[in-house]
Amino acid sequence: MLASSARVFDLSLGQMLWSRRSVFLGFLLGGPVLLAAAIRIVTATTPFWRFSVNGARVSGPGLFGMMMWLLYIRFIVPVLGVFYGTALIADEVDDKTITYLFTRPVRRGAVLLGKYLAYLACTTLLVLPSVVLVYFLIVPLGGGRVGELFPSLLGDLGMLVVGLAGYGAVFAWVGARLRRPLVIGLVFVLGWEPSILLFPGYLKRLTVAYYLQALVPHAMPQDSAIGVLMQVFREVPTIATSLLSLAIIIAVTLWSAVRAVEDREYVLDQ
Amino acid sequence: MIEAAAPIVVTSHLSKWYGQVIGLNDVTVTVPVGITGLLGPNGAGKSTFLKLITGQLKPNQGEIFILGERIWGNPALYVRIGFCPEQDAFYERMTGLEWVSALVRLNGAGEREADERAHRALEAVDLLDAAGKKIGAYSKGMRQRVKMAQALAHDPDLLILDEPLSGLDPIARRKTIRLVKEWARSGKSIIVSSHILHEIESMTSNILLINQGRIVAEGNVHQIRDLIDTHPHTVSIRADQPRALAREFLAADDVLSLRFEDGAIVVQTAKPDVFYARLTELAANGELGSIHEVTSPDDNLQAVFQYLVNT
Amino acid sequence: MPIHDQGYRRYGGQRAPRGRAWAVIAKAGIRTRLGQRAFLALLLLSWLPFLVRAVQLYAAANLPQAAFLAPTPGLFRQFLEQQGIFVFFLTVYGGAGLIAHDRRANALQIYLSKPVTRAEYVFGKLAILMAWLLLVTWVPAILLLAVQIAFAGNVEFFRGNLYLFPAITMFAFLEVITVSTAMLALSSLSTSSRYVGILYAALLFFSEALFGVLRLVAGNTRLSWISVPFDLNQVGDAIFRLPLRYDTPWPLSLAVLVLLVAVSGFVLERRVRGVEVIA
Repeated sequence: MLASSARVFDLSLGQMLWSRRSVFLGFLLGGPVLLAAAIRIVTATTPFWRFSVNGARVSGPGLFGMMMWLLYIRFIVPVLGVFYGTALIADEVDDKTITYLFTRPVRRGAVLLGKYLAYLACTTLLVLPSVVLVYFLIVPLGGGRVGELFPSLLGDLGMLVVGLAGYGAVFAWVGARLRRPLVIGLVFVLGWEPSILLFPGYLKRLTVAYYLQALVPHAMPQDSAIGVLMQVFREVPTIATSLLSLAIIIAVTLWSAVRAVEDREYVLDQ
Repeated sequence: MIEAAAPIVVTSHLSKWYGQVIGLNDVTVTVPVGITGLLGPNGAGKSTFLKLITGQLKPNQGEIFILGERIWGNPALYVRIGFCPEQDAFYERMTGLEWVSALVRLNGAGEREADERAHRALEAVDLLDAAGKKIGAYSKGMRQRVKMAQALAHDPDLLILDEPLSGLDPIARRKTIRLVKEWARSGKSIIVSSHILHEIESMTSNILLINQGRIVAEGNVHQIRDLIDTHPHTVSIRADQPRALAREFLAADDVLSLRFEDGAIVVQTAKPDVFYARLTELAANGELGSIHEVTSPDDNLQAVFQYLVNT
Repeated sequence: MPIHDQGYRRYGGQRAPRGRAWAVIAKAGIRTRLGQRAFLALLLLSWLPFLVRAVQLYAAANLPQAAFLAPTPGLFRQFLEQQGIFVFFLTVYGGAGLIAHDRRANALQIYLSKPVTRAEYVFGKLAILMAWLLLVTWVPAILLLAVQIAFAGNVEFFRGNLYLFPAITMFAFLEVITVSTAMLALSSLSTSSRYVGILYAALLFFSEALFGVLRLVAGNTRLSWISVPFDLNQVGDAIFRLPLRYDTPWPLSLAVLVLLVAVSGFVLERRVRGVEVIA
């Protein structure tokens, strides 16, 4: 199974990385970098200007943490998970190339796993450089030390990879099991997760965000009433619990997606 | 190499339905080695049958054995099967060589071996010159040929070709038909699905005819024709004295009807053996002049198809 | 004539005047969607807020204890804002594949080989999406106004807020036109409706996220024009004569929306062609 997945990974990675979609998403990920560059230019050209967030002075690391929350954790990572995860098999079905993959001596589950690994590699290669660039542009502001905080950047990068893996696995399962996976995926990341995290209780454990956000070392920004509410009702599991739970989520959803793909019949439109 | 004479496809009470619509209805069939033409009108169940024997669909009832093994959920069997699907779908950004090579690597071959096999396959379909071009820039005929290349690159025992001649110009069609025959001579078994009856006929006389989800006929097309009792045989004869011959034919009760057409007599007979025996005698004794030409316009696939599918 | 010619005969009936092809495309598209249960379920769901508001208006008109629920112009503004989530999902569900599917099936060549101009094709597709979106914005909002009058038994509120009808109409059409043209333009860029859906989500939510950062950094909301949903909010508040929620001047927000529509039109003009010429 692993050897087959590796072969599919080889084939899919090139397809994903150099597709027009990934190039476009790469440009999208340039948005935070452009924003960071603009902020850097503004501070360089107006030397007396200081950052303040909600009236309180904040330095580069604080600003970086805020950008991580608002751009990467709440939007980019979940949406990339939805986009690529739901499309792992669906794209091949839509393009009618699934026949070539499913008539090879490769288990269907291995095809899914190989494509999932290719997704992970592709998104990691898109997201991490963007984060690193933002880090180097923003952290030095207000006296932040790039070298000193570098280990925390590595932690951030690891956390993002875990997030991509988690969301990708969940939406691989959604894409394999359900019709209209994109709409369901968007409802989940843009509707269900932000809403359910506001409420106390156990429902929030039915999200990836609950566990992922526990891994984020930066303070959650209070950018709105919702942000304040989230701070008030925030229950944070331990890092160990979060990592274990995310590992279980990834394993269970991937296993279920593999089973779905192996049992399902794909009838292509003529 | 597969065992001599072991059938390549065996189905037993095979049925497949899509919701309320039955795609294949209780099909029990044995496909022998060699080239078999799979025929049927649109909506007959050909695609369903092909998808079942290539393991893309699971039967609702019955069993399928391909090369002696079950196909559904048995990816190892695909080492021995090469499938050329009908749909025109590729990874357009890859070159022909990259694509074929990548698919061969999925078969377990190493990079170098996959490259070599891809080269050989592309050469076999006359596409080596364009191997370095992106598939997105290929013409329809080139796309069809690169599809066939990926099907045979890993040297399978069984080739399943769905409309392989679609989009090919007449020269390319002839070449492909020749290739198919060559592959069969080299020991491969081939199932070809097509609408183009005369081209199937030029590849093989062994057919599997499907209509409305059922197998209507299987085997040699001439034998099938002989067995179609409800349709009298048509014989066309050119002779020196057509009217004298006509008088002779009309005296016998095996001739059902007779007409004159373009200087020939066209006879319909319910007993072709008896008729041909009498015709041979008449030609031998020469009493009614010379007989120049005897043809049977409906001893062909087109006629078989029409008689069986339109009834 | 005793024996009639069975061969081909030219159509001798009436032909619709030129320029009506868009209506044919629109009708066909709407009929197709009406046959999809999931889409109908989403439509039904999007009318639930109307029911809730209608109950609120009934209570306000008939129960003295519920007088605090009395209607205000803000109620209609809020209603339209709340419908925004349904507008988003209907646009993704019903709009992402409008042109993308035709491009995938190479149907553009077929459409444009008929006596159908590119403008008619685009307007036909636009009409499909606009019909659904107006059905969940303008229609329930106007109905809410009618319901208020019906439950109150008088036209006092309506007379006191005569601008509400044109305000609802203007805002609903502005929102629907902006969103529809943007989605149609994105749909013309790809053959995958999934990709189009994500692009659309990125256009809306990523711009919101970027503004979120800028708002915290700048300490004010002057840069809200970066976010399309916030531009709609700002213009909506202006149309309904409510206090503006952001520091951005509303004409700037309106200009951004107009620019978005213009860019969408430009994209559609470039992309909707029968044949793609690759140099």
